[in-house]
Amino acid sequence: MGLPAVKSMGKAEYKIPGGKLLYAETEISNGRFTYVKISGDFFMHPEESINLLEDAVKGTNVENIDYSIRHFFESNNITLFGVNPNDFLYVIKLSLNNDK
Amino acid sequence: MTETWRLIDMRVEDAPTQMSMDEAIATLRVNEKTPNTIRLYRWSPSAVSIGYFQSIENEVNLDNCRRYGVDVIRRITGGGAVYHDYNGEITYSLVAPETHPKMPRDILSSYQLICGSIVNGLKELGVDAEFKPVNDIVAGGKKISGNAQTRRHGVILQHGTVLVDSDIRRMFEVLKVSDAKISDKLIKTVEERVTNLRRYTGREVTFKEARDALIHGFENTLDIILEPGELTRKEKELANNLHEKYSSKEWVFQR
Repeated sequence: MGLPAVKSMGKAEYKIPGGKLLYAETEISNGRFTYVKISGDFFMHPEESINLLEDAVKGTNVENIDYSIRHFFESNNITLFGVNPNDFLYVIKLSLNNDK
Repeated sequence: MTETWRLIDMRVEDAPTQMSMDEAIATLRVNEKTPNTIRLYRWSPSAVSIGYFQSIENEVNLDNCRRYGVDVIRRITGGGAVYHDYNGEITYSLVAPETHPKMPRDILSSYQLICGSIVNGLKELGVDAEFKPVNDIVAGGKKISGNAQTRRHGVILQHGTVLVDSDIRRMFEVLKVSDAKISDKLIKTVEERVTNLRRYTGREVTFKEARDALIHGFENTLDIILEPGELTRKEKELANNLHEKYSSKEWVFQR
């Protein structure tokens, strides 16, 4: 018998100084990301990489999110404008403290 | 030698048709099945387009869109939400290969070049506009044009908006504007952030005048001649096929 799942959902908005606006919606279950949706008015080439980024976060232990994001951008050839990998990390972490 | 590009001139279509045409031209340009192209166009009914990565819920006031009969569509390009006012806005799109001698490989530099065409066109109308990286054009410190680019299989597609006489009040009824975005720029009202040709020049600027100026801007900046043309049969077919995607809830509401 396992413990009941500890679930939490969060949402955050982050205005990158002098840049674009980022949003993250996340759901955590038993310490892992089970849902993540990132949105905003930034540019990412190729555009479909956003789905890969979200997939990379899903299943990640909350403790490992820094590594997971860094690794994702290091191992994929992605061009960003108006946002950088740390901004994604920041808005995702911000969402963790904002229960809906 | 001055090159000739195709001009598809001031077609008025609904939102899914316009976005389908841009994608169809860009897709068929990959294998040189279609010429380098500039389109100038208007949207009927008026529509909100949001960037590929944007969330409908965060960006669009759907109730007001319904109330005013304004369409909502998602672009294949990133960037921000735009209100395409049938009565006050011209959209342009440019399709050319990355390897074109005039086109910088670097994305930011190509924004600067293509937006430079708009800036030069606006100068002809007496607007002292300037490119503001990454993707804006401002006049008197206010946004007058927003632009967005994608690159697929070696082809550049950039489209953008030029505000001629847009109803700026209506614009901010159909768009949701984040408090964070306003407070960051230390500006009280959203209306202080945006202008249009009429407001800036203090006179009526017709679509014809704006269209002529934009054409000159592209021709002079890119050293090209724009020759009016139509979509090819293949482009029409592909655009027809894409129409369904752009009209679908799955596409529009995916984020």
